[in-house]
Amino acid sequence: MKFHFLILVPIILLFCAQMQAQTVYATRTHRVTVIVSTITLVQVSSGVVNMTISGADAVAGQDLMTLTNQSTNLLWGINSSLKKITVNTSLAAPQFTLKLLAGSSTQGTAAPQVTLSTVPADFLLNIGRSSGNCILQYTAEALASQGTGTDPHTITFTVQNQ
Amino acid sequence: MRPLTRTLALTILLLSVGGISGAYSQLTILGGNINMTVTTGVAGGEPIAVTNATISLRYRLQNRITKITVRTSCPGQRFNLAVVATSVPQGTAAPQVTLTNGMLAVDLIVSIPRRPPNTNQTATLLYTASSTFAQGNSAELGNDVHTITYTLLDQ
Repeated sequence: MKFHFLILVPIILLFCAQMQAQTVYATRTHRVTVIVSTITLVQVSSGVVNMTISGADAVAGQDLMTLTNQSTNLLWGINSSLKKITVNTSLAAPQFTLKLLAGSSTQGTAAPQVTLSTVPADFLLNIGRSSGNCILQYTAEALASQGTGTDPHTITFTVQNQ
Repeated sequence: MRPLTRTLALTILLLSVGGISGAYSQLTILGGNINMTVTTGVAGGEPIAVTNATISLRYRLQNRITKITVRTSCPGQRFNLAVVATSVPQGTAAPQVTLTNGMLAVDLIVSIPRRPPNTNQTATLLYTASSTFAQGNSAELGNDVHTITYTLLDQ
């Protein structure tokens, strides 16, 4: 009798504990794979910028006339590391000078002001794995002695490895 | 041990493990494994999240009020994944759960009533995968492979 008691008591206690415990009825697993593609985006806020140097920009006795424009922004989103943005113009032989600087950049490091040419030049550095924007600060320069004319630039911004 | 005692002991033992028996039909993931790919984004913003609602969770009502929990294992997790149960026929969907490697089990569907009916119930699993530009990409960092575990248990 004593032997039976010793056997039964732990079993009954185990059963009672089972009744009180939070029963798990089933467990299932599956696999979800998250893939993030390489995403490289660069965009200008407006397609056209017109800059007209007029008499208002001239200073009597001074040959150089300048005009600035900060009406547009450059936006980007890049999820790769070690990237920069370069800039170049399509106009091989401009009559006047057009310069560009990245202003108030939210990410990265602005390169020094660039005189635009057909050769890509650094515009914004250290923008890998970031999203941000900057002001496109254009400066047009003309000499009074150059006379009148129009320079139609198509400006290209390119994300490149740094 | 007398035959009566032995029979009684065996009966109690079988009852005590009763929660395990029959478990294989109580919860089923319908749809298998899936891939979710973030492919585009917004300049000046963030990559656009992607969703997947092709997976369903089939569960059976029990003799007690139950719930379903979720957790994940994803060593070296880099990106974001969340899940919420939608179109829940029995029980209440919990708010969207962010799936993080090593997390404790979090409620997905709660207050699943007792049976009857003793029939299968099917809810949809809505997964949302997202990332930020700062989190990088799979080509440089690899994919996130989540092993996601759903558990049906007493509430």
